[in-house]
Amino acid sequence: MGRIVSLAEFSGFRLRVLGEQGAEEVKPCLVICAGTGGQASGSNDILRMIKRTILERKLQERISLRITGCQGFCQMDPFIVVEPGKHLYPKVKKEDLPRIIDAALNGRVIEDLLYKDASAHQCFSSQGDIPFFRNQMRVILGMNQQIDPIRILNYIEHGGYAAFEKVMLNPDPHWIIREIQLSGLRGRGGAGFPTWRKWELARSSGSTDGRRFVVCNADEGDPGAYMDRSLLEGNPHAIIEGMIIAGVAIGATQGVIYVRTEYPLAIKHALIAIRQARDLGLLGTNILGSKIDFDIDITRGAGAFVCGEETALIRSIEGWMGEPRQRPPYPIQRGIGGCPTCINNVETLANVPVIIGRGAAAYAQIGTPGNTGTKIFSLVGKIRNTGLVEVPLGTKISQVVYDIGGGPIGKARIKAVQTGGPSGGCIPAARFDLPIDYESLKEAGSIMGSGGMIVMDENTCMVDMAKYFMRFLKEESCGKCFTCRKGTQRMYEILEDISRGKGTLEHLSLLEELAHVVQDTTLCGLGQTASNPVLSTLRYFRSEYERHILQKRCDAFVCKDLVGAPCQAACPLGTEAWRYVAHIQRGEYEDAYRVIRDANPLPSVCARVCHHPCEDRCRTGVSGGDAIAVRALKRFVTDRIDPAVYRPARRAAQDADGTRVAVVGAGPAGISAAHYLSLQGHRVTLFEAEQTPGGMLVSGIPAYRLPREVLAREIAALLSGSVDIRTNTALGRDFTLQSLVRDGFKAVFLALGAHRSRRLGLDGEDLPGVFPAMQFLKAFNLRGASLAKGRVGVIGGGNSAIDAARVALRQEEVERSTIFYRRTRAEMPAFSEEIEDALDEGIAIETLVSPVRILSSDGRVTGLACIRNRLGERDATGRRPPVPMPGTEFTLPLDTIVVAIGEEPDLGSLASMGLECRDATTLRIAPDTYATNLPGVFAGGDMCTGPHNVIEAIAAGKRAAETMGRFVRGETLGRPPEPRLPESYIEAPSGSGEEFRHARRAPRPVCPSTLWKRSFAEVEMSLPEEDARREARRCLRCDLEFTQPKESESEAAAVGARRA
Amino acid sequence: MITLRINGVPVSVDAGTTLLDAARFLGIPIPTLCHMDGLSPYGACRLCVVEIGEEPRSRLVTSCTYPAEEGLLVRTGSARVVRARKMIVELLLASCPQSKVVQDLASGYDVRQQRFRQEYEDCILCGRCVRMCEEQMMAKAIGFSGRGEKRKIGTPFDRKSEVCRLCGGCLYVCPACQLRCTYAEPEKVICGACANLSPPCLEKETFGDMMCYMAPCVACEITKD
Repeated sequence: MGRIVSLAEFSGFRLRVLGEQGAEEVKPCLVICAGTGGQASGSNDILRMIKRTILERKLQERISLRITGCQGFCQMDPFIVVEPGKHLYPKVKKEDLPRIIDAALNGRVIEDLLYKDASAHQCFSSQGDIPFFRNQMRVILGMNQQIDPIRILNYIEHGGYAAFEKVMLNPDPHWIIREIQLSGLRGRGGAGFPTWRKWELARSSGSTDGRRFVVCNADEGDPGAYMDRSLLEGNPHAIIEGMIIAGVAIGATQGVIYVRTEYPLAIKHALIAIRQARDLGLLGTNILGSKIDFDIDITRGAGAFVCGEETALIRSIEGWMGEPRQRPPYPIQRGIGGCPTCINNVETLANVPVIIGRGAAAYAQIGTPGNTGTKIFSLVGKIRNTGLVEVPLGTKISQVVYDIGGGPIGKARIKAVQTGGPSGGCIPAARFDLPIDYESLKEAGSIMGSGGMIVMDENTCMVDMAKYFMRFLKEESCGKCFTCRKGTQRMYEILEDISRGKGTLEHLSLLEELAHVVQDTTLCGLGQTASNPVLSTLRYFRSEYERHILQKRCDAFVCKDLVGAPCQAACPLGTEAWRYVAHIQRGEYEDAYRVIRDANPLPSVCARVCHHPCEDRCRTGVSGGDAIAVRALKRFVTDRIDPAVYRPARRAAQDADGTRVAVVGAGPAGISAAHYLSLQGHRVTLFEAEQTPGGMLVSGIPAYRLPREVLAREIAALLSGSVDIRTNTALGRDFTLQSLVRDGFKAVFLALGAHRSRRLGLDGEDLPGVFPAMQFLKAFNLRGASLAKGRVGVIGGGNSAIDAARVALRQEEVERSTIFYRRTRAEMPAFSEEIEDALDEGIAIETLVSPVRILSSDGRVTGLACIRNRLGERDATGRRPPVPMPGTEFTLPLDTIVVAIGEEPDLGSLASMGLECRDATTLRIAPDTYATNLPGVFAGGDMCTGPHNVIEAIAAGKRAAETMGRFVRGETLGRPPEPRLPESYIEAPSGSGEEFRHARRAPRPVCPSTLWKRSFAEVEMSLPEEDARREARRCLRCDLEFTQPKESESEAAAVGARRA
Repeated sequence: MITLRINGVPVSVDAGTTLLDAARFLGIPIPTLCHMDGLSPYGACRLCVVEIGEEPRSRLVTSCTYPAEEGLLVRTGSARVVRARKMIVELLLASCPQSKVVQDLASGYDVRQQRFRQEYEDCILCGRCVRMCEEQMMAKAIGFSGRGEKRKIGTPFDRKSEVCRLCGGCLYVCPACQLRCTYAEPEKVICGACANLSPPCLEKETFGDMMCYMAPCVACEITKD
């Protein structure tokens, strides 16, 4: 294939190639992605094996292999697409290859290896049906799958260089530029400047020596963005074609591709492609006899982000240090060597052959007016399908994140999306219905940028994000202008201080001021946009900054100096979970017990019913392994150690002047408060409306989860001898706040809990046989009365619903128990272990069902009329609400209905006592001091927060006792918050722990179900000692970073440097 | 001739005149640090920024580098400009408080606080020394190297220069080490003592007597008393 010297010859050549391709018989083809991402995932091994198989079995005539560049489905690398059926096999392993090859040869499909969508639970036989692909419009990227990038004939076979031919037929700049104008193409590098105007200005600018340049900016510096790399690796000829057309349009004879040196594969492919184009006669002098000269050189970057900026890039090409200069004059007026230079982004140039080939009118149909065409985004971060996606401009962010990206990976909700890299800003989830176009993103405080889209969820700290980008910009700033160099440094310093817990509110205003000045006064785009990450996170997530500053908390558990050990930070009581786990590992069970009990007055209770936020944050779990079974370990210790080993320090009553203090409500919050107040030496009286103390622990939680004796023993240990408890005494009925004052009580803690079940609001809810959950549970748990009979229906999806259903099943006259929940199983708020136990016991769970009407006859309930739901469109929080589907009504016969849709506090009489209530269910308290509007009256627990968890109630009681103590002594109530970091040093276990690296979590110690089904025997038991020791050994000891004594100065320096 | 308006006052200048020179022609003072008559403009310190154009498309540019344009509207003292200048001075104080030039700027722009972590650097990378060496002394012995925080001025690869003639031109023009502020309370960051006084050392005629960049200056101590 020698050099072609005339346009006619090229036309004929092209037609021949196209014809041959059409005539060829279609044999099965294995298509493998070998872009940088694919190779990193192991596609090279796969390729080697396939090649070897084909050669060994002499399959060359029967099957072909196509090695492509990046196809964009990076999460599934290495994957194979079998053509012509387009069957996609994701994450292929070497062992599967023989089967895949055989199936391809015989036109079969291997079902169990095909791609399955995680949320749809279905497997897809054709690539086009997969939601990730179906929802994209792969005008540019689609070619990457069709061709081998280093075969020019491949490119021509698929229509390549047709646009080039068209241009060569009539190399008149005017119609070319007009086509680009009609297409509406805007620069894809970030600013969105109309490409036709740049070309027109470059064409018409005067040149001192007649030279003009076309530059392709492939210095893709944004962290997380790799669209341009994939284009250059996977389809370099498209760029070459685009550059030649640009050269003809502006009258340039020299093109330069400026690639960052960190893209070796892109450079290699580009060099090969240029050589091939030259050899064929498409580049060089007198191209195809047209007298047009155009050639392309490659200049490599040297590791500077700032060289992506136009004027710095030009300096770099000229051989100088990459430093921007003032504009005007713009590069199109004076660029390389003082000559007009048109700099276009890789993706912009890739769009040019498409526009010229298909015609501007057809192209302009894509997208929206003013924002035509498609844009490629690199979707990365906390998203299920990371990879490259191409969508028409104007597509909504929610479509990209959920329909294409597949939504979040785990349970954490997606919080924001960062567009435009370090020059861009974040868009919060509430604004995900924004169309992706240049203007909308700018108005929202971000920019389109080159196309990086980083997804963030609840476990991303926005302060940390801003800090990360600021650090990047500080290091990449060229340093010439003072405000950029010093401004980014100082902004980073402030962000670092905030993330270390040393921030103040003045820092925030200083940060904003500085951000605006940097934006205003810097020389180039890097400095002008450097403030964007800071300003946009402050705009939408200011509360996170304030949390870091005022409460010294990082709610995403990212900022190390505020978190310490995540298990300790997550526990509302600040229990040093790492510490007792370490003691267990060392066999020091008594020490472990003391650590637990020192923090928590109700350890045996929590060991059974706590919702373990510590486990949810455990680093072992968060980083991909199994979380440490902290609750099971707590149970192990509390079961075997006598509580008497822990003696809390107690002030004698006479030392504290024996002040009388009242606590109303003997639930977990009240009992804790009463205990700690009595330790301070006060004379505590605990009032309880029911006949037994315990609150929700005794009224709501059934005995098979929390045995009565265990609870009674623990409560007695806290109260007997030190607290005067009066049961059957209710606030409002038997005493009031005013009467307490008269009786000499100096302070009162209200912990009434949330015991009123919410109503459905349906007719018939008051009929016999229909019970609110709390009434039903209390009747049984406190008085042993079985209210359920026959077929029981429980409406709701939380823990009370499960408790009600399981308690009902244990009542004598009950046949079966069914739960009705309006959303899906995945969204049920109840503990997953409880749901599984319930299913195990034979309780049916009907999901996506809502009650419509309660059916009755003779004044008694006979059944329930329901309607089926479907999940609707995502709302601002990213959740999909249930939407009833008309025509799906059905009825069910039921003898008992329990309404368990949630509880709320009943504040009925409190307003009359002078307490500030926002309405019947919300009491106003100061969050850090638990004080109400009446001096001396404090409140905490579920009655203030709504139904929450046991450990939070205990924490509220303990802390309220502290503030009440200060109140009684006349001190200021509040204390400045401090992060609780690990302090005690416990030696790390010996040995490498290699065998524990992949150890699984100890299985949940459950008694055989025959023992507890339909009985009240306890379901869970304690871990055997060997299992407990092994489980404790799995702990990563996050505390050691803070407590380990420094051996030497260098080690201390290393730790310090690491933490910087 | 190009006609533009500075602070509402029309002025006609030759093509190629910078906004700074045009403003000076009108007698409007604009602070500068990296600018020096006789050296090419650089635009590094950003102190001389002025606001050009009209709201909402106005922007700040360095007047020492921006060429005059026909019909351009320039404001040298708008709120945006003043806010920028004050912050720049604050940043300068945070890095280089011992320079009298910086202290005078602080006094002049009423900057009474410095809210950043205090550093004591000897160089603000204004580039005067580099340009002096290259353009006036024709030696080009020193230049910039490094990027961002690591940017510094020195000889190529920090090797002893063979072209440096020890003329002292770089020291002569340096704003950071040229005049040391030697106020009695060195721990206090903001000085403001001699802002309105002209130190006697400036009136000396021979360069050899200027020892300010070294130990505490005798001349300043005399004035203080």
